[in-house]
Amino acid sequence: MKLARRLVIGAYLFAAMLPLVWMALSSFKTRDDAIRPHPNFVPAATASADPRAITFEATLENYTELADVHVGAQASFLEHLGNSLIVGLCSTLAAVALGTAAAYGFSRFEFAGKKDWLFFILSTRFMPPLAVVVPVLIMYRTLDLQGTHLGLILLYTVFNLSLAVWLMKGFIDEIPRAFEEAALVDGYSRLAAFRRIILPEARTGMAVTAVFCLISAWNEYGFAMTLNASGAITVPAYFAGLQGNIAGMPWPQIAAGALIFVAPIVLFTVLVRRHLLRGMTFGTIKQ
Amino acid sequence: MANHERAPIRWAFVAPTLILLIAFNVFPLVYNLVLAFTNAQLVGGTTRGIGGANFARVFAEPEFAGAVRLTALFVLLAVSIELVLGFAVALALRRDFRGKTVVMTALLVPMMLSPAVMGLFWNLILNGNYGILNQTLAALGLPQPEWLTVGALKFTSMLMIDVWMWTPFMILIALAGLNAIPPAIYEAAEIDRASAWTVFRRITLPLCAPLLGLAVLLRTTDALKQFDLVMAITGPNDENTQTLSTLLYQVTFRDGKIGLGSSFACVVLVIVIAVATVFTRYMERMQRRPA
Repeated sequence: MKLARRLVIGAYLFAAMLPLVWMALSSFKTRDDAIRPHPNFVPAATASADPRAITFEATLENYTELADVHVGAQASFLEHLGNSLIVGLCSTLAAVALGTAAAYGFSRFEFAGKKDWLFFILSTRFMPPLAVVVPVLIMYRTLDLQGTHLGLILLYTVFNLSLAVWLMKGFIDEIPRAFEEAALVDGYSRLAAFRRIILPEARTGMAVTAVFCLISAWNEYGFAMTLNASGAITVPAYFAGLQGNIAGMPWPQIAAGALIFVAPIVLFTVLVRRHLLRGMTFGTIKQ
Repeated sequence: MANHERAPIRWAFVAPTLILLIAFNVFPLVYNLVLAFTNAQLVGGTTRGIGGANFARVFAEPEFAGAVRLTALFVLLAVSIELVLGFAVALALRRDFRGKTVVMTALLVPMMLSPAVMGLFWNLILNGNYGILNQTLAALGLPQPEWLTVGALKFTSMLMIDVWMWTPFMILIALAGLNAIPPAIYEAAEIDRASAWTVFRRITLPLCAPLLGLAVLLRTTDALKQFDLVMAITGPNDENTQTLSTLLYQVTFRDGKIGLGSSFACVVLVIVIAVATVFTRYMERMQRRPA
C-alpha cells in the first residue's frame, strides 16, 4: 500500500513537472539541439560530435537574444514583458482597491437586493471573453482605446472584480465588527474607520487577492489577442502570434522567454500556497 | 449599528464596482443582442437590420452543432478525467510524509500557469519528429503517434494538456474534502469491520461529495470557455478541435461577420448563463452550510 502510494505520487509528480523541466532545459539549447530527433537532456560545456548523444552544448544566447526583435514580429520579448507588467500591475491595484471597498460594503451594510448583486458579480466571471468582446471592441474603437495599455487595464480590472469582491468579502467578514464599532463610537467617520481599522486588518487578504488578480491578468489571452493587435501586446498574445512564423518557431528563445514569464507565477504560488484553496474557489472554502 | 449610516455612504462603497460591471458586462450583452439582428461587418460595409436571419443561420449551420457537440464532449471528458485522477492522487497524498509541502506545491503549479503560453510550449513536447514525449515512447518501445497532425489526436492532445493543467485543482479540493472527514468515523467503521471498499463507498466518497461537486461546477464553467488551448494546438478553424469560443473567434474575426458572430454569441451566452445559474445556486447552498 505504501509502495503503491509512493508510485502514484512519484509518477504524477514526474508528469506534472516534465513540461517545466523541459522548458528550462530547452532554454539553454541551440535551435538545432532543441529540435534534434534524438533526445538530449544533459547540459555540457562542449558540443558532442555524435548526433545521438544525450548531451547538448549549454548556451546563454537565448536569454541575451530576448532583447532582439524576432523575424516577423513587431517588438522584442522584453517589450511585451513590459506590457504584461504594466497591464498586470495597474489592473491588479485597481481591482483590489475597488474590490475591497465593495467587499466592505457587502460585508457590513444591508441594502436592497444585496444577495442578488453578489451573485450578479460572481456570474460575470463565467462570461466567455469571446462572447462579449465585439461590443467592447466597438466601444474601444469609439473611445480610441484599442491597442492601448489603458484599454486592457480597464478590462482586466473589471474581469477581476468578481474575484476581488468575493475573496475580500470572505476576509473582511472575519474581522470582528467590534473593532470598527468602537472606533465609530470614538467619533471616527465611517470612511476613517474603514481606512484606519479595516484596511490594516485586511492586509493579508488584500495581498492574497492581489496575487490571484495578478495571475489571472498575467495569463489572460482571449481579450488580449482580440483587442490589441497593434499596440500594448502582452506576452501570451505575442507568443501565440509567433505560430506560423516564416522563419520557423524559435523554440529555445520561446523556452527562455516562457520560463521568465512563468517564474514569478511559480514564486507567487509558493507564497500563497496556504490560501490556494480559498483563492481558487472565490473564498467559498476557507482553510 | 451598521445601518445608522445614510444610504449614500452605504452605496458609495459598492457603486463603483457595480457601475463598472454593468458597463462591461450588461451593456455588451444588450449590444450583442442588437448586433445579432444586423449584417454588421468587422471592416467596412453599411450596417442594416436583417431581422432574425442570423439566428436562422446559427441553427442551420452544421458548424454550430459541431462546436456544441465538441465542447460538450470536451467538458465531459476533461472534467471527469481530472476528477477521477485528482481524487486518486489526493487519496495517495492523504497521509503525512516528509517533504509533503514541497511536493504539494510542485504538484499544484500547473494550474496557475498561462494556458496560452504553456499550450504553445506543449507543441514542442508533442511534436511527432522531435518531441520529448515520442522520444520517451520510442525509448520504451511503444508506438509514437502524430499528436499534432492526425485529426482525432489533436483533440486528444488538447484534452491531455487540459488534464495536465487542471488535475491539480481537483487534487487541491479533494484533499480538503478528505482532511475534513473526522477520524472518529473511520475508527467506528474499523470496529464494525467494514471492508476498505465499503469504507470508501459509504464514508469517504459521500463526505467528499459536496466539495467535489463545487470543483466539478467550477471546472465545467471554465472548460466551457475553452479557447486558449485550441488556438495553441490547431488554430480556430479545425473541425477536430473547434469549440464554441473558437467558432465565435473564427466567425467574428477571421470571417469578419460581426452580425452573425453576435447571434452565435447570444446563443452561447444562453448556454453559459444556464450553467452559471446552476453553479451560483450551488454556491448559495454551500455558503449556508455550517463551516
